Amino acid sequence: MSVNGSGERTAGSAGALGPGAPGTGRLMAGTDKGDGGAAPTGVAGATDDSVALSIHGFCKVFPGTQALNDVSLQIRYGEVHALCGGNGCGKSTLIKILSGVVPADKGRVTLGGRELDASELTAKTSYELGFRVVHQDPPLYLDLSVAENMMLGGSYPTSRPNRIAWGNVRRRAHELIERFDIKAKPDTLVRDLPVSVRTQVAIATALQDVKDGRCIVALDEPTAALPAAEVQLLLSVVRQLASMGHAIILVSHRLDEVLAVTDRVTVMRDGRVFKDHRTQTLTENELIESIVGRPADEIRQRRATTSVGEPVLTVADLSAGPVQDVSFQVHAGEVLGVAGLLGSGRTELLSAIYGGLKKSAGQITLHGRPTNFTSMDKAIEAGVVMIPEDRSRGAAFLDMSVDENMDISVLSRYWRGFGFRRAQLRQDAAALRAKFKVKAPSGSVRMRTLSGGNQQKAILARWLRRDASVLLLDEPSQGVDVGARADIYSAVRSVTAAGGAAVVVTSDMEELAQFVDRAIVLRNGRLIAHVGSEELTAHRLNQLVHMESREKL
Amino acid sequence: MSDTALQTHPAGDRQPRFGALLERTGLPIFLVILIAIFAVIPSTGEDFRTLVNIQNILAYQSVTGLIALAMVLPLIAGYFDLSVAAIAGLSNVTVATLMSEYGQSVAVSLAAGVAVGALAGALNAFLVSVLNLDAFITTLGTYIFWAGALALYTGGTTIASNIPLEFSLWTTKKWLGIPGPFWLLIVVALIVWYFLTQVPFGRKLAAIGSNETAANLAGIRTRRSIGLTFVLSGVLAGVAGALLTSTNGGGDATSAISYLFPALAAVFLGRTAIDPGHYNVWGTIIGLFLVAVAVDGFTLMGAPASVTQMFNGAALVISVVLATFTTRARERKARGIQLQTLRSSDQPSSRKSPDTTPAQGSAAPAG
Repeated sequence: MSVNGSGERTAGSAGALGPGAPGTGRLMAGTDKGDGGAAPTGVAGATDDSVALSIHGFCKVFPGTQALNDVSLQIRYGEVHALCGGNGCGKSTLIKILSGVVPADKGRVTLGGRELDASELTAKTSYELGFRVVHQDPPLYLDLSVAENMMLGGSYPTSRPNRIAWGNVRRRAHELIERFDIKAKPDTLVRDLPVSVRTQVAIATALQDVKDGRCIVALDEPTAALPAAEVQLLLSVVRQLASMGHAIILVSHRLDEVLAVTDRVTVMRDGRVFKDHRTQTLTENELIESIVGRPADEIRQRRATTSVGEPVLTVADLSAGPVQDVSFQVHAGEVLGVAGLLGSGRTELLSAIYGGLKKSAGQITLHGRPTNFTSMDKAIEAGVVMIPEDRSRGAAFLDMSVDENMDISVLSRYWRGFGFRRAQLRQDAAALRAKFKVKAPSGSVRMRTLSGGNQQKAILARWLRRDASVLLLDEPSQGVDVGARADIYSAVRSVTAAGGAAVVVTSDMEELAQFVDRAIVLRNGRLIAHVGSEELTAHRLNQLVHMESREKL
Repeated sequence: MSDTALQTHPAGDRQPRFGALLERTGLPIFLVILIAIFAVIPSTGEDFRTLVNIQNILAYQSVTGLIALAMVLPLIAGYFDLSVAAIAGLSNVTVATLMSEYGQSVAVSLAAGVAVGALAGALNAFLVSVLNLDAFITTLGTYIFWAGALALYTGGTTIASNIPLEFSLWTTKKWLGIPGPFWLLIVVALIVWYFLTQVPFGRKLAAIGSNETAANLAGIRTRRSIGLTFVLSGVLAGVAGALLTSTNGGGDATSAISYLFPALAAVFLGRTAIDPGHYNVWGTIIGLFLVAVAVDGFTLMGAPASVTQMFNGAALVISVVLATFTTRARERKARGIQLQTLRSSDQPSSRKSPDTTPAQGSAAPAG
């Protein structure tokens, strides 16, 4: 199918042999057809034909973080190249810069044979030079047909000045469907397609006007939203694209997929390229080590020395939303980590405890008493507080002042029947800002002006000033720098040291290994492992979280 | 004045403090300048300065002002209530009908008017906070619906017979030389201001308006609070309608509903002053009188009465322009501050990063 589609467009330019041929290893099996007809030379391929994209010294600073720090990278035609790394390592920033959505601060790039300064990379030039991105959640129009989606991604063929040539539309869509081997008809509504096929449609849409079969296609977590049965299908599509001669950048958290489908892996960490691997010679352990940043057997960090006390929070057979049959206990003085990928039910678990999500079964016991919070204010009243993920959406009042953000949890304490005790409020707020190390010029500046770490500390102060006994933290260090992260955890420790308990959800396994006492691992809503302190390493957690194959614990 | 904490800046940043002060007081200053101009220039000065003119300006804004305050309540929580003018109409016709056709006492009629307002507000509350419908469309719908119901009930006539003269004359009564309706407006404004800024519930409303998801996760009963604002808004609209009955000496289907756009103009102008970026009571009152003074001045110059509409329209556009540009400037400034703190914290940290970041430290054995 790759022959009839791109073959006719590239007739005459098929002189050079498949550009990806030297370094492709397992690619061979799939390329026997593609190499002859569908893998032409690039026009400017004088120096190194096989390099589709090379990046030199990319830098990018965002408020709060150095997202990219001197990143250099080469991607070759005909290969699948994985970008791996923990959250916030800079993968998505890199993709955004390459697609021209976000400007880089510094760096040079060679794209499709043209060398540019990174600042010249606009969305238009990036597209023209053959860079295409297909996002995890591709922007398709669900209520329109496959053909219409494809044409809207490019342009409608018109006959007379403004009339759409519908016959032409159908023919072109048909052509694309054949070329990319999509199991759909041009008239099918995208809504009626399985998710993996939708992604295929998005890929076809992105690649429809490619004349010579040489594109750099970035797939951003294409399998994250897919049901397990469809993953395999999509991965074979990825291989097929590579065999057509395209260069594929695959961003993925699922290491088994990365190992199965790619030719090279680049691991990023803290905005830098940490290491380049050849997949052929890469083992799973090496890859995890590379991502996590420490040898698998490294001794884990010292934990707080407080002895574990009475159980504070007991969850028994809890089912709510995607969460199924989860049981665990947290004791006084303890910080329990929850490891799991996005969609594993980790956020819903906290929400169910907090009363934000109705539970369908199970029992939650707090300080020995059964509880059933029907609303969040009851949970707060009982001393259970939650710091939700996605601070700007779920926790911060960005256009209110820092002090007002901290007051909101304790307003009634400062109300005397006529008005607020404002002097006291101000004084206490200042003390809190000092205690939680919130760096702000004053308490009256708007929350928006603070960095992510300081916003998070202010939100932590909002809840910890209530003397809560159970802390539920969802991704507490998202978008927070290293120093603030330590401050946040020391504040959490101060609560547990006073007899409280904390449950921390984070996708950063390194962070879990470093800061929590014990962890549970969720996958697909089920608790699949308890990890005690003696085997609590980022490596172990990553194994448990990522590896579908290893069910044995 | 609504938040004394805002005045306490640390010493040192003089320049931004001045800018913030100007942003806060720009609209009141403009109002004062406008008054001064009309009082001085020859074409209006003589008439403008008269006591009667000033009393007129003060007295005639009260209905608009009350309706505007009724809109402020749900808006603080982030929800539109466009139906308030029609609810005022309901109250207006209720009060007039009870007095003229059923011979009820003034007190009973007024209470009934306010109660009808509360009921109509409760309907909005049900639709918006219980059924979770879009507030803008829903209250636009109830606005049109009630306007139609009023036209149907009154048949286009004014209900004015048997209205006690004493009641109609109340609006002309003065205390300390200032008309009664103005006092009513100021008292209601004080109550609303107190409720919104000095009571925990008001602060929670502001939190809902700022970020409803976060407010919900912070344990605030958001749906219930929002519903309550619609009921209270209906009560205020009921008061406005009752006052209108006295001002007009009767009830009719069309006069109340025409207050929607003047009130909107005052509310949006108000958002650009006193507590910029947030809907607030005193800003609304200033916005109200800004439009009133401008209209009065230009009518004295000889402009026809229809300029009022143009002023309301212009006020809406200008308030949006001001709000948008100041918000953008503020966000730009916030980004600037963040970048600045980032750079200042980046310098030392990047120098010592090799031995502090775990990635670097453990990279060697790993690779």
